[in-house]
Parts: sequence; C-alpha cells; structure tokens
Amino acid sequence: MDMSSPLANVDVSKLSDRDKQELQQFVVNESQKARIQSSIHSLTDVCFKKCIPAGGVKNGALDKYEEPCVRQCVDRFLDANLVVLRELERLRG
Amino acid sequence: MDSFGGALGGGDPKTQIMRQVQQEAAMQNARMLVEKLNEHCFDRCVPKPGASLSKGEEGCFTACMEKYMSAWNTVSKTYVARIQKESQSGAGLSNTF
Repeated sequence: MDMSSPLANVDVSKLSDRDKQELQQFVVNESQKARIQSSIHSLTDVCFKKCIPAGGVKNGALDKYEEPCVRQCVDRFLDANLVVLRELERLRG
Repeated sequence: MDSFGGALGGGDPKTQIMRQVQQEAAMQNARMLVEKLNEHCFDRCVPKPGASLSKGEEGCFTACMEKYMSAWNTVSKTYVARIQKESQSGAGLSNTF
C-alpha cells in the first residue's frame, strides 16, 4: 500500500524454500479471495440499485420483497454473464 | 496494528508477510464498503444538501447503511453458494468471475 510498510525490515532471504512455496500458495489463495470480494462489492452495487426502491430509506432490514430480489439479482446477473461468454465463444467460432 | 511486533522483529518472516497481506486485504475491503455506502446513501438520503444534515437525513443514513450491509451479506451468501455449486458441476464460471 505505501512505502512505510511494516514489512520493510523483513529479511526475505531468511525464508526457506518450503516457506517460499507456502507463501506463494498463500498469495494465490488470497488473490482469489480478493477477487471474489471485489465481485461481491460490484454485485451489491448493482443489486442495491435494482432492488431497493429509489428515494429515502426508512427501515434498515431487507423486507420480504427486497431480500428475494437481491438473491435473484445475483443469480440472474451471473446467468447473463454466462450468456455473454457463450455468445462470445460462439462468435470466435 | 502489528507494526509493533514487526518493528521488533517478532514472529518469523513468513507469518509476518501473511499477516500483512491479510491486513491489507481487510483494509481494502473496508475502504470499498465505506465508499459504496457513502455513494448510495448520500444519493438517497441527501437529495438536496441543506446547511447541515437534518435529523431525518441522519436517520435515513443509518437505515440505508444497515440495509446496504444486509444486501451485501445476502449477495455474499448467494454468490458464494453459486460458485460452490458451479465448481462442483464443473461449469466454468468461477474462474472467469
């Protein structure tokens, strides 16, 4: 994030090969998690706009229409994503 | 938070790196959430900015934040369930998203 990271004084050369391998796997997993979280943010952004009626918000909980709407919004968005991919695949021949 | 242990060289380097990576991920996640909360709730709760935030606007903000976070949790559950279902059935969506 910034230059004054607390890792500045970590001596990477002290890592064993096994440590390095473990770290590499760790970073792969963490990036996967970060990607998923970022998708969750953008899906929430889209579905909040679609499912929560415009204007002020009076109640904090999702009501009985909003909750299923959000769930369906996620599922249909991913279906649509799949349609796009399939169509592009088809165009590529 | 851990710069203390880090500065003193406490813990092995591997654990230090892991902890740092996780912290930065959590930070990034929180920052994103705050940004989205502000964006959505400001739009809904303060349509015409006045001289100060009214009680009504503040109440709207509280409700809006709570609702957004409920929506976030619902999205998270649904999305993760979908990824799991698809990785089992082998339909490749999880790697494109």
